[in-house]
Amino acid sequence: MTSWLRRQRALAEYTLAALARRRIKNTGLLLIYAMVIFVVASATLFATALRKEAEVVLAEAPEVIIQNLVMGRHDLIPGDVIAEIDGIRGVASIKGRLWGYFYDRLNGANYTLMVPLDPAMAPPAGQAIIGESLPRVREMPWETAPLFLSRTPGDLVRFDIAKRLSSDSALVSTDLILLNEANFRAFFELPEDVYTDIALSIRNPREIDTIVEKIGRLLPNARLVTRDEIARTYQKLFSWREGIMVLLAGASVLAFVIFAAEKASGLSAEETREIGILKAIGWDTGDVIAMKLWEGGLVSFGAFLLGTVLAYLHVFAFDAGLFASVLKGWSVIYPDFALTPGIDGLQLTALFFLTVLPYMAATIVPIWRAATADPDQVMR
Amino acid sequence: MISVQSVCKTYNEGRPSALTALDGIDLEIARNALTVFKGPSGSGKTTLLSIISCMARPTSGRVLIDGRMVSGLPERFLTLERRRTFGFVFQRFNLIRGLSVLENVLLPATPLGGERRADAKRALARLEMLGIAGKAGERVEFLSGGEAQRAAIARALINDPPVLIADEPTANLDTELAHRFLDIVSGLRAEGRTVIMTSHDPRIWAADQVDRVVSMRDGRLEENEA
Ligand SMILES: Nc1ncnc2c1ncn2[C@@H]1O[C@H](COP(=O)(O)OP(=O)(O)O)[C@@H](O)[C@H]1O
Ligand SMILES: [Mg+2]
Repeated sequence: MTSWLRRQRALAEYTLAALARRRIKNTGLLLIYAMVIFVVASATLFATALRKEAEVVLAEAPEVIIQNLVMGRHDLIPGDVIAEIDGIRGVASIKGRLWGYFYDRLNGANYTLMVPLDPAMAPPAGQAIIGESLPRVREMPWETAPLFLSRTPGDLVRFDIAKRLSSDSALVSTDLILLNEANFRAFFELPEDVYTDIALSIRNPREIDTIVEKIGRLLPNARLVTRDEIARTYQKLFSWREGIMVLLAGASVLAFVIFAAEKASGLSAEETREIGILKAIGWDTGDVIAMKLWEGGLVSFGAFLLGTVLAYLHVFAFDAGLFASVLKGWSVIYPDFALTPGIDGLQLTALFFLTVLPYMAATIVPIWRAATADPDQVMR
Repeated sequence: MISVQSVCKTYNEGRPSALTALDGIDLEIARNALTVFKGPSGSGKTTLLSIISCMARPTSGRVLIDGRMVSGLPERFLTLERRRTFGFVFQRFNLIRGLSVLENVLLPATPLGGERRADAKRALARLEMLGIAGKAGERVEFLSGGEAQRAAIARALINDPPVLIADEPTANLDTELAHRFLDIVSGLRAEGRTVIMTSHDPRIWAADQVDRVVSMRDGRLEENEA
């Protein structure tokens, strides 16, 4: 066993020395390979993180939302609608929601202001609960510094920070400010008994369609949005996820082609001769193949590690800067959004098998052919 | 020690380019002797050397080493036999470029899984003995012809084989270096090793250190003792 280990170590050492000889060529190979993996891994990590965000958003979304439409546009909805639909069977709860966006002229930031559905969650008067990353994003002088919001010139409303929310979803919490109902209405000068929209929860999900139909008859001017529809919207947004899977497959094929072709097309004359020399001086076929597997393994695994680590940094530390254009539509709503770091082990494994293994597999055949040739050619 | 019996070797057998390089060779090679194959270029010296040293297989005939039949062995066992019995100094040395002298010398020991430090110590001792320990860290492409040959000799001996095989070892050396080579070889014989080499160099055939000269022509022997 120790002799087996020593043998592998010696072969690996030889491989390193051999790789170091063609430093420029091998570094180039490693970098191109790492770049392919970087692109694929970035896309994978990015898609996974977005999907996770969407799941969190959806989990928090009510089953049905009723919006008032005025001239086809979303408008405030009167509270007496609540009483009207209260009688419909199968509705578990009806709550008027208050939320809106606020553009802060002082620093050009956008906030989402909201009243929690559960009154127990609301902050006391004059206080606000803010999203976890808001102090950082808004460059507040210290984490619990009071928040000053200015609606009109000369007017400044102060909210003390009750606490910071921690949420699994960066999309949800980044620019979130929670107020109590009285403060919210006062801040936006809303009359009593109007809401932004109305959220329903439904006892039996199979009844959603029936209930939506009944409400539609009751409120012909309302738009009804179900969670399924939200989910579908997200899906549309993420339909390029499939595109990414294609990209992933395509890029791995590319990786396969570039690097495998280089090797599969046959070893260079120099490599073949080197294998002949090694065999002539006593290496057997297995030794040569083990050494070449070390070589392929070091190159492809090194590229895999490098590409993956860079992709992780790209997506989570640099906000997927290279995918900014894909995100454009999104970032209007969520100006500063950082994805929550996360790794999907299964996807990484798949990526590993799609990139490292084909390379190893493609290189093995020509190596095997060279390694089994009679060594007496090197006598010439 | 090595017995060659009715060995024939035909390259590209069955094809129009078929060429019989060895045609019925019978030969006994003595242990601890220095045997030289001489003959004009193309007479089959290298081919015979590679068949004796388990580098290639005869088309027909048998090769025995210490009574063991090796000519019919499958490749894997042939490699084992070659590894155990022979050390090689090739005509063009076949050092691996880009590696240091020491790394080259250690190559035959690499897949054996021995103690690396002990291997290196042995390698350095041999380089010392050959007078090129100072070049151990140098890349082999910067060596002179004589130094490269001595590096190749050190490499051939790292696994302590009983037989040293050398193909045209003095072809690229001046007279002084050729004599140096013969001195080194005598030293190896004093260590109990057997040396088999080819040469078309008259300085070698005439040398005192040579025990036996085997003449070849067109794949056959025309023996004359030294
Ligand atoms: N791999 C090979 N394929 C075909 N012919 C070969 C091969 N190797 C050697 N020969 C031929 O076999 C003959 C003997 O070659 P070789 O043993 O190298 O002779 P020497 O070493 O005495 O010069 C030569 O005619 C050579 O051209
Ligand atoms: Mg020859």
